[in-house]
Amino acid sequence: MALYILRRIALSIPALLGLILLTFVLSRVVPGDPAATLAGDAATPAQIAQIRAQYGLDRPILEQAVIHVRQVLSGDLGNSIFSGRPVAEEIWQRLPATLELTFVALFLATLFGIGLGLVAALDHNGPLDHLVRVVSVGGLAIASFWLAIMLQLQFSMEWNLLPLRGRLDVALGQVPRLTGFMLFDTLAAGRPDMFLDALRHLALPAFTLALPGLATIARFTRSGVLEVLQKDYVLYARAAGYGRFRLAAIYVLRNAVTVTVTQVGLLFGALVSGAVAVEAVFDWPGLGTYAVQAILSADYKALLAVTLVIGVVYAVVNVAVDVAQAVIDPRVADQ
Amino acid sequence: MMHRLLRCARLVLLLAAAPLMASAQTAPRPLVWGDTLPATLDPHAIFDVPSQFILLNVYDGLYRYQGNPPRLEPWLAESHTVSADGLTWEFTLRAGAKFHDGSEITAEDVVYSFRRLLAMRRAPAAAFTPVLTAEAVTAVNPRTVRFVLSRPYAPFLSALPLVAVVNQRVLAPHVAGDDWGSAWLAANSAGSGAYRVNATNYQPRVSLDLERFPDHFSGFAGNPRPIEAVRVRPVLETSTRVLALLRGEIDATDSYLPADQVERVDRNPTTRVARDESMRVFIIRMNNQRPPFDNHDVRLCLAHAFNYEGFNNVVLRGFVARNAGPNPNNLWGNPENLAPYAFDLARARTHCDRARAAGVDLSRPIEIHVQNELQQTTQAAQLFQSDLRRIGINLRIVPNTWPNITSATARAETTPDMWIHWVSTYFVDPENWIGQMYDSQFHGTWKASSWYTNPRVDTLLRAARESLSQEERQRLYAEATALVVADSPDIWVYNTVNLRGLSRRVSGYSFSPVGSGGEVRLMSLEN
Repeated sequence: MALYILRRIALSIPALLGLILLTFVLSRVVPGDPAATLAGDAATPAQIAQIRAQYGLDRPILEQAVIHVRQVLSGDLGNSIFSGRPVAEEIWQRLPATLELTFVALFLATLFGIGLGLVAALDHNGPLDHLVRVVSVGGLAIASFWLAIMLQLQFSMEWNLLPLRGRLDVALGQVPRLTGFMLFDTLAAGRPDMFLDALRHLALPAFTLALPGLATIARFTRSGVLEVLQKDYVLYARAAGYGRFRLAAIYVLRNAVTVTVTQVGLLFGALVSGAVAVEAVFDWPGLGTYAVQAILSADYKALLAVTLVIGVVYAVVNVAVDVAQAVIDPRVADQ
Repeated sequence: MMHRLLRCARLVLLLAAAPLMASAQTAPRPLVWGDTLPATLDPHAIFDVPSQFILLNVYDGLYRYQGNPPRLEPWLAESHTVSADGLTWEFTLRAGAKFHDGSEITAEDVVYSFRRLLAMRRAPAAAFTPVLTAEAVTAVNPRTVRFVLSRPYAPFLSALPLVAVVNQRVLAPHVAGDDWGSAWLAANSAGSGAYRVNATNYQPRVSLDLERFPDHFSGFAGNPRPIEAVRVRPVLETSTRVLALLRGEIDATDSYLPADQVERVDRNPTTRVARDESMRVFIIRMNNQRPPFDNHDVRLCLAHAFNYEGFNNVVLRGFVARNAGPNPNNLWGNPENLAPYAFDLARARTHCDRARAAGVDLSRPIEIHVQNELQQTTQAAQLFQSDLRRIGINLRIVPNTWPNITSATARAETTPDMWIHWVSTYFVDPENWIGQMYDSQFHGTWKASSWYTNPRVDTLLRAARESLSQEERQRLYAEATALVVADSPDIWVYNTVNLRGLSRRVSGYSFSPVGSGGEVRLMSLEN
């Protein structure tokens, strides 16, 4: 097993190196001059040229690429072209917000996705199955930003139940930052009122982000359960007198979720990168809004770092999924 | 059935949220400002519209613009003198003005601030580097600072409010190498303004907390109930920004509220829209060095083919004022009775036909670059596209972003055929508009991106820049403006009426084109 894990980790290293190079090249061939942006509205061409030289933007692109790879490998993501601050520091400030949102969304998607998938399979071609099909098709088809605005209009504006934006009500003040995870930090600070407020702020963006994942998980769970239900051992178990729900929950589901686990893992990466639209609408101060701001200001250093972080998240999750699959089904590691 | 389900869901959520809603209602709310934050808090590193909020609230300069139309008022300086040749300027500082750390502001601090600005050579320095060196700024005594310009520069005083005076004693321990402390000042403050930054809570472009500085030299005169705490929480999406205002989550939007939202915000009992004529001109640029725009008839054709009235009065619902030339209508330096180009497709067709007869090729598609994130630029381009089609010109709309376009304008070959933008108020002088837009010495900057060249206009603008007589400057700018408008290098559409959504609990909001009404010192709050 240890050898298997090491092999999986080793395989992700060239992928990450390739990602570093590819994103660098892409970010430099698109139009836009970060030096002009940094110099500001009233800058003269001489000032822009000076900034270009200061940041090494006037060097040949290959030389810039080599410097960039060397810096990234030594853990230096450089300074933001726009704010002048270390990108790693800015990302470190933003990452917990995105991870918190993603974890909660993934939790919702998994919990309800598996539940709905199971219910749909057990009521195969029945009314509940049709209902779940509508939910899952809708979940995949509805654009996140549209859903986000609809939820804001209904839950915040119409019913005045949930906050519209942000992570915490300003009237409650600021919570000391321990981890950047608001749910944890508010509890650590002994502020249950802030914890509840943070939960309320999470509700709409987490649901919006969770819906497509929930639909995917429900569909995979449904087909997995249906497949297992056809197996002989299920037939024998039924013949032995096991109740329908006991059979489904204990024997069928466990064997049916192997594929779902892979999906959950892949979804995590997809949710992190897919948070861009959701974060923008709900003003969630995470990596998504950071990426949008970096794009609008042509801050290529920040963009490279965001892409890299998302790439690393994908790689780590992929390894974790491989390991989880090997634990659930040891035959995977032997293959 | 569906209604019953929705009602049940609402009830459950209400019960869950009740304790928290009660606690949130009891706490007094600070002012929540929903406008954009600049990329850095360092006032010498960047100069754009968002950075003016920091400049006005956290820092002070020697002079400051107040009101609308903007008046230049002594601020940290109480008076100034200028030599007869216009080269030596001396400013006497106000006694007793203090930085946030309690130390007194001296002439040495002003000298340090200008030397820092000139050494960093970032955006705000552009107004001074052609006429000022670091050695030419000196402290005559603790309350007098002297500037010796290398040549006369009439807009010098107008540009002074761009420069914040920073506290060198606070900055000194944080200077690393030759960075002048810019890495530290990007996320901290060293000012004397009416509000100080709570650096602990600062998150770039996400949140900024300000607390009132009670010892500000102004004494908050005229405002018996100044706001104690400000929370700046920029809202990225326009729809969320409007909803957040309507719901009371923020107290102010940015000053670009979409025209179609004005009625909605005004109708809401707890919000209103502040409408103020600004100095911000909406322009459709033409690259005068690239065919077919190098032909005068083609430019006139296009100037007559834009439906000004339809755009200003229907699309923008009349919340703007037609502007005939490059300078805003409400600024001095415009010729009397300057007539704007009229939307007249028959005249446009005549000019285009004349150009075709002279051998100009108008068959190629013309590209117009719009700023993707600014809907108005796309709306203007779409309207233009449909009218140009009627006179046989194919306009192709290219979505783009501000950084991409402005960097492309560094060279005539890479400057788009046409593009749309505004020119905001950086300082209140025709130099900010016609001076920097149509003097050919500024070619390569985004402001001069029409690549217009007229030697007579160059001469007039340079003379106006160096003249110390206001009457003469008025005459020179008026003549230059008449020539530029006749040459039609660009299409000037309107002067902005700034539209800022405000909570009705905010009073004392006072608009000035410099800073767009973001001076919190003047405001009060009903809780």
